[in-house]
Amino acid sequence: MSDALQEKPNAESRPISSSAAIIIEGRYMAPPQDGDGKVWVRTTALVGAEPDPLYKLWRDVENAPLWQEQITAVTRTGDTTSHWTMRSGDKTIEWDSEILADEPGHRITWRSIGGDSENAGEVIFDPAPGNRGTIVIVLQEFRMSKLTSMWETILGRNPKQSVIENLRHFKALAETGEIPRIEGQPHGPRGMVAGMKRSIYGETVATPPGETQAASMGGGRR
Amino acid sequence: MKALCWMGTGKVEVHNVADPKILNPHDAIIKVTRTAICGSDLHLFDGFIPTMEEGDILGHEFMGIVEETGKEVSNLQRGDRVVVPFTIACGSCEFCKKKLWSACDNTNPNAHLMEAAYGYSGSGLFGYSHMMGGYAGGQAQYVRVPFANVGPLKIESDLPDEKVLFLSDIFPTGYMAAENAQIQEDDTVAVWGCGPVGQFAIASAFMLGAARVIAIDRFQERLDLARSIGAITVDYSEEDVRVLTALKDLTGGIGPDACIDAVGLEAHSTELQGIYDVVKTKLLLEQDRPSVLRQAIQAVRKGGTVSIPGVYGGLLDKVPFGAAFGKGVTMKMGQTNMHTYMKPLLARIEKGQIDPSYIISHRIGLDRAPELYKIWRDKKESVTKIVIDPWAS
Repeated sequence: MSDALQEKPNAESRPISSSAAIIIEGRYMAPPQDGDGKVWVRTTALVGAEPDPLYKLWRDVENAPLWQEQITAVTRTGDTTSHWTMRSGDKTIEWDSEILADEPGHRITWRSIGGDSENAGEVIFDPAPGNRGTIVIVLQEFRMSKLTSMWETILGRNPKQSVIENLRHFKALAETGEIPRIEGQPHGPRGMVAGMKRSIYGETVATPPGETQAASMGGGRR
Repeated sequence: MKALCWMGTGKVEVHNVADPKILNPHDAIIKVTRTAICGSDLHLFDGFIPTMEEGDILGHEFMGIVEETGKEVSNLQRGDRVVVPFTIACGSCEFCKKKLWSACDNTNPNAHLMEAAYGYSGSGLFGYSHMMGGYAGGQAQYVRVPFANVGPLKIESDLPDEKVLFLSDIFPTGYMAAENAQIQEDDTVAVWGCGPVGQFAIASAFMLGAARVIAIDRFQERLDLARSIGAITVDYSEEDVRVLTALKDLTGGIGPDACIDAVGLEAHSTELQGIYDVVKTKLLLEQDRPSVLRQAIQAVRKGGTVSIPGVYGGLLDKVPFGAAFGKGVTMKMGQTNMHTYMKPLLARIEKGQIDPSYIISHRIGLDRAPELYKIWRDKKESVTKIVIDPWAS
């Protein structure tokens, strides 16, 4: 490296590469583009916590329904395998998933191994520059055509948006212990186009509960 | 319970709706004792803010008595009297830690809508469109308050509701506007708009050391209030009054050190540019009418500051950015970082330094609210501020 610039008191030691390929040899890399029957989404969030507890929260797959939209149940079937059930509208799909790479406190990768969904993903927990918590990077691919993805969008939630929302829920849960919600609040009579508007706003997708029944029973004051 | 609902542009109605419930561990339910109509509610009434839905409960200025608390709320108890800030903040994200409460990352359930429009989402707001969270508002008998462990300010003295109610929005908003104006001792400050936020911006500018405050409006009742707290007033609707000339005349030709736009996106203008904005917004070619912003940038002195508490929502036309650059102007703006200001401003009220209730002109029950929205929108009956007792018949 050139020694032209000596004075940078708070500069991070520049990451040379990170595996979801946001930075490679100091250069920013664009996310993978859709094509060949796959749709890709990459999303990131700055979360105010150490990588370790965040890794643990993510790795605890059976608790995924607490913060992942439309996931109704996850059952462990082995050390690295699990069975996932997802309900979207009135349709239920199920698949098995397998963890490939598992680096505690740093990175998890997974792929589906049969069932109704073909997907694969990676999550990385990178310490944020300047000790401001952890940058969580999620890269997810679905094997589905653009047409199917558009159809899903019309029916409820675009699969890419779902990944983005899930990371948002994950961050809110990790930082505050709850996920912000408005379902169940009062309102006056809704109009003719209310259903369409709710769908555009993404309000037809149930917000995940954010806490377990057991947790909500502890320490109650009511 | 009874609640005031937005039912379409120019239409609000009182409806009987379900009582709110605790939905999250940091929620509280407040029995509303006083609420107010905000000037920014008129932007909703007039249909300028997108993503409103029929049946949405309005209202973001309210206070009341704690009725019920979620299991993670330990700082409040049933029976506590509280004022609730209109911005909802989680208290633990990067932005809350920096005290940029209105930029909170974790309180907007519809963050993706605001991301699409603004790049990033700000905090959720009560009763202010689905883009801003879709939360039910407080022009109602009860309201659910998320993150009640962070926002509500307990009132432990016996000050009447009317003296502390405006800590929920407009007093802190006017104060932050004055703070954003970077007022130095002995400065001259110009304030456009002498509605409630303008009033508190004027009062706060004096508190922060301004020597002269110039208040600009066209409604006598507002100009009277501004003069009553020490401002020099300019009525731009008077024949031969030109605001830019007036501001030069009143500053020895150098311009005000700071200009505060307490009007925002529905500015009224007697100039040609006013007609331009009305035509373009009607044709949906422009979203906001920024005639005050243009004037403030034009008027401020070289190296001065333009502070913008007035709400803007979208894309603005013909903003004189060259003038801003040419003079080296600083601009500061944004939703109020409420949580920073509520306690210190309560202390000023308790010490008797200011009685914010001086702006109130109308006291009503919820049933008259639809009528008063129209009256205020049409600038009739000398409305300066409307306070609602949702339990009065």
